[in-house]
Amino acid sequence: MAEQRMAANGSAPLTRTEEARLAAFQVRIDAGEKIEPGDWMPDEYRRQLIRMISQHAHSEWVGMLPEGAWINAAPSLRRKLILIAKVQDEAGHGQYLYHAAETLGATREEMVDALLEGRAKYSSVFNYPTLTWADVGMIGWLVDGAAIKNQVMLAGASYGPYSRAMVRICAEETFHHKQGQDMIRRYAQGTPKQRQMAQDALDRWWWPAMMMLGPHDSDSPNTPQLKRWGVKIKTNDEVRQEFLDEHAPELIDAGLKIPDPDLYYDESTGHWVHGPIDWDEFWRVVKGDGPCNAERLGARQKAHEEGRWVREAMAAYAARSARAGAEA
Amino acid sequence: MSGLRNKDAAYENSQGSVQGADTQWPRWEVLKKDNERKPHQAVGSVHAADAEHALLMARTVFARRPAAVSMWVAPATSIHTFTAEELEQLPAATDDDTGPLGRYLVVVKSTNRRSMTFGDLKGEVEAAGVRAALALALELAGDEPVLALWLIETGSVIRSEPDDADPWFGPALDKTYKQQSVYSSRATASKDAAEGVPG
Repeated sequence: MAEQRMAANGSAPLTRTEEARLAAFQVRIDAGEKIEPGDWMPDEYRRQLIRMISQHAHSEWVGMLPEGAWINAAPSLRRKLILIAKVQDEAGHGQYLYHAAETLGATREEMVDALLEGRAKYSSVFNYPTLTWADVGMIGWLVDGAAIKNQVMLAGASYGPYSRAMVRICAEETFHHKQGQDMIRRYAQGTPKQRQMAQDALDRWWWPAMMMLGPHDSDSPNTPQLKRWGVKIKTNDEVRQEFLDEHAPELIDAGLKIPDPDLYYDESTGHWVHGPIDWDEFWRVVKGDGPCNAERLGARQKAHEEGRWVREAMAAYAARSARAGAEA
Repeated sequence: MSGLRNKDAAYENSQGSVQGADTQWPRWEVLKKDNERKPHQAVGSVHAADAEHALLMARTVFARRPAAVSMWVAPATSIHTFTAEELEQLPAATDDDTGPLGRYLVVVKSTNRRSMTFGDLKGEVEAAGVRAALALALELAGDEPVLALWLIETGSVIRSEPDDADPWFGPALDKTYKQQSVYSSRATASKDAAEGVPG
């Protein structure tokens, strides 16, 4: 197994068997086959997928928090129902993804522990605060909009369980995006106060949304191998460009001003061009020093502790039922 | 028959055997039937302390949208899994492969097309042991490619009752705010998200 790992890093000679296996694996990928649990796969393919999928799962779970904080303050029953359904979906999406990572040999326990102990990464965007109700709409429009771009790409991933989770998530998440867009469009055409709230939310969420699609390709060393293995179909910059090309004209059409003085539409390429991204901020937030990292982690730890008695009760009930069944 | 089991030891470990508050609960695979015209399909897994809990978890995780009329769960330990490679390199059956007579549900993955389900329930076979069941299962699959195959011990499957369908799956029908089509918009924002969804 050590040989496979080194080989995937390109740093050690392959045995003939390994070489043949790797070549056969690549043939399967290139033919558009899905790799399934139990199939042979390079160690590095497994390791990269566990990393990506578990981070994705953690992001769904932590992603419940910024918006969940507004459930009690939703301005109407309808908006409250929408928000509850959306947050509930994120919990389910976390479950789909933990399941997919588990098929690679990670356990849910290990993954959840890594999150609770602050050892795991999750999307930087969830470490920003939700200061007003308009943030709920802007998160739906921008953050879910960016996530969908990434997830549609990953729905084509070569690993079957990840691909299937992505297809299911995209189907459900489309409404998250739509409800946010719908809310912000209404606010942007509403009272001066509502317009101001929508603009303020855009000012604060624009850059975090642009950053959440990951570092530039030049700073993303794993991408070429992940593309060869069909895990990623597109690079971070390609997905970010899709996000920008779709959202820039829509936000402007809604009457909002995007907080990027360098932003322009290049008629010769048909693409929007954005100004420089503050990657120092991105890395600061990823590495734990964002506005809400401690609060998010604290909330997850609290939920885990407060649910302990429920888990203990269920385990006790299951054990008692099993004993009763054995005696009967 | 251990040679025919899923050889991914780490994945098997994830099924867990110790039932404590902070250890892994056993894993249960979930089969969902979207409507009367479709077969049950393998949609993913849940972790649960017991069968009843597993069925409740399955409903919460996999039926937040309307398409469901029936849901089954099976403990992962009662599922015999085969990859295409394992099926190709299957050693010849020997007398040792004969086991007690049992019934098995057959789930087959037959396409690499983009999908939110792993495979479809093809039917049930009765055979003396897993090896014999596998031969019948492959017959059941017919001319379809078999990219992966599961034999689920029928006796281990816990099923939702027909009477459950309305209270369990009915409420999602009224929650139209979960459908993107209720939000009017000039934008075509989510058209590519829809592309992730099979036809």
